[in-house]
Amino acid sequence: MTINHPQSFSVILADDDEDDRLFFREAIQDLNINASLVVVNDGTQLMSYLNRNDTILPKLIFLDINMPGKNGIKILQDIRHTDLLKELPVAIYSTSTSPKDVKSALDNGADVYIKKPSDYDGLKKILSKAILSNWRTKSSINTKDNFVLSL
Amino acid sequence: MQKSNLFFRSLFIIAVFLLMLIAGIIYRQLQMVKNSSKLVMHTYEVNLKMEQLFSAVKDAEASQRGYIITGETLYLDPYFTSLNNVKNYYNELKFMTADNLIQQQNLEKLNDLINTRFKLLSETLKLHIAGHNNDSLNSLLLKGENVMSDIRIHIHTMTQIENGLLDMRQKENDNQRSITPIIFLIVILFSLCIFILSYYQINEDANRLVKLNSNLLITNKIFEHAEEIACMSHWQWDLTTNKLTYSDNQYRLLGLEPQSIDLSLKAFSEFVHPDDRNILLERSKLAIKVGESPSAPYYFRVIRKDGELRYFKAIGKLTSDLHGNKILIGVTIDVTDQHLSELNLEEKNKELERSNAELESFNYLASHDLQEPIRKIQTFISRIIEKEKDHISESALDYFSRMQLSAHRMQKLIEYLLMYSRTNRTDQIFEYSDLNKLLDHAKQELSLAIEEKNATIISSPLPAIKVIPAQIQQLFINLISNSLKYSKDKVAPVININSEIVDSKDITELKNEPGRKYHKISVTDNGMGFEQEYAESIFLLFHRLHERSEFSGSGIGLSICKKIVENHLGFISAEGRPGEGATFNIYLLAS
Repeated sequence: MTINHPQSFSVILADDDEDDRLFFREAIQDLNINASLVVVNDGTQLMSYLNRNDTILPKLIFLDINMPGKNGIKILQDIRHTDLLKELPVAIYSTSTSPKDVKSALDNGADVYIKKPSDYDGLKKILSKAILSNWRTKSSINTKDNFVLSL
Repeated sequence: MQKSNLFFRSLFIIAVFLLMLIAGIIYRQLQMVKNSSKLVMHTYEVNLKMEQLFSAVKDAEASQRGYIITGETLYLDPYFTSLNNVKNYYNELKFMTADNLIQQQNLEKLNDLINTRFKLLSETLKLHIAGHNNDSLNSLLLKGENVMSDIRIHIHTMTQIENGLLDMRQKENDNQRSITPIIFLIVILFSLCIFILSYYQINEDANRLVKLNSNLLITNKIFEHAEEIACMSHWQWDLTTNKLTYSDNQYRLLGLEPQSIDLSLKAFSEFVHPDDRNILLERSKLAIKVGESPSAPYYFRVIRKDGELRYFKAIGKLTSDLHGNKILIGVTIDVTDQHLSELNLEEKNKELERSNAELESFNYLASHDLQEPIRKIQTFISRIIEKEKDHISESALDYFSRMQLSAHRMQKLIEYLLMYSRTNRTDQIFEYSDLNKLLDHAKQELSLAIEEKNATIISSPLPAIKVIPAQIQQLFINLISNSLKYSKDKVAPVININSEIVDSKDITELKNEPGRKYHKISVTDNGMGFEQEYAESIFLLFHRLHERSEFSGSGIGLSICKKIVENHLGFISAEGRPGEGATFNIYLLAS
């Protein structure tokens, strides 16, 4: 489902949780950023959307880890192995803070790891920071220190 | 031992040699006695011969006289006989005094005298037969008488000489006679000495042997007992003669009476578990054929005579005996107990792994599935409060914020629990880390709270130690946040972090560790402090010193600190000064 705004770029969210999708949508709306939001329910939907010929590639993909079917890490791998898609900035967006998950995300080429906040304000702040940053530029250095996004 | 053997051998040879020498001396001595006796005899014989010679001459004279007196030719017979005798005696004497030059000369002279006498005798006879007158006869007789006395004197001289010799020789003989018993005595004493020495030596050797033997018996007994106690046996296998001998205990290990059956390789393999028999036989074949034996022990199962299953371990080693034959020697040990406890240990390990795996999956469960609903509750509540605060009653708003608090506490609890269970040692990497950097990261994470409380953190330079960086960072976070939480009302918290090196013997709690050096890092604050009597209990899980409503802590933070420090083989202690502040001391090993 897309939001029709006069857009300059798009942002994609892949999350299987309905509530999380709700929060996300409302937060983006409240932020009033000039971005259009695309929301999909799982990894397969995401891949098929990305591979469509008429798709404009997004500025940032928010990818949940725990999804039915292919989990977020596998989708991340697929994206990084597809020629047309491998330069897309990907943020892993997850509840988990386990070091294993963080490492896995870093190792498989994610640009940033975002822990889902537990209050609405926090959510708005972190989304704004993530969307407005420019990932994957030569100047942005991905170190372990700032891989997990903090406010 | 070899040396003394050689010593005694040579001693024996010398003794024998000496004895033979002495025997030689005795023999010579006896010979000398015999010889001197012979010489004495000889002089007597010479004297006798001379007397015989003289009497032969006198016989001739007497018979001549007889003839002259009686005119019977009968009397002339002895004359001719004596003539012969004289010749014989003279020759004998000449032979007998052959060694004496003087006597030989005397004898020559005597011979002349005797010849003269006989010449006179025969002249006298001629005269008498011719019937000459008395005067010439008388003068001849007189001449003859003179010669006779010359002879007499001469013989006397010779006899004297012989007697002189006799004296000398008798003296010599006596000497020899008296020396001989002395020499005999010496020889006997010497032999006696040798016998005594030998006896002494043999006695000593015998004693030593007896002692060694009894020691050997004792050692053997101990050895046998040791085998029994250790449930092992030893064996040897002569690869050339294919003779296999086992010690007594091997029979006992199989449940048999010692040496009760002929335990050949085949008989032994009857006791071996059927599945393991092949390996045993193969190894044996290899040993026989190639004369080699792998030195690694091998394990096999055995079914004792009473039917019980036992686990055996056998190790063999090749060696050779005096003749160069290859002998395989080895030990067989009943390792059933060890084996069973190993199996037990493996079981327990597997169980541990299983429960660890369960724990890990629980971790993962908590990590996602428990936190999800909590997070959503909190988010929804915050959405409601924000969006609808104008449309909700005061009390409803109050209820909502209490709900938020509860949900928040639950989330924190789950977070801390997760942290606690993740704080383990096993799959973490220790690396050299600069503690100052870790402290800085901790401060960054707490930057909000530090700002809120207007807190100051002063630290002296901290060392670089081999640690698990994330855990030490968490340690700092927990301690600092603790100090911030329990600060005095309206007093800005000041936290001092210092480090020094101490020796384990100076620290009461570390006295048991052998002398090692520790880094003592102290975190001191100016907060509320606590009663020293609770200094140990504050580290207990879920233990809280204050009411839940007053302070939002979970009661886990310090327990995590303790676990982290223990992971690093260190120690943590606390000092509380009520109303003044608290100090937490961390002891970490200095590598």
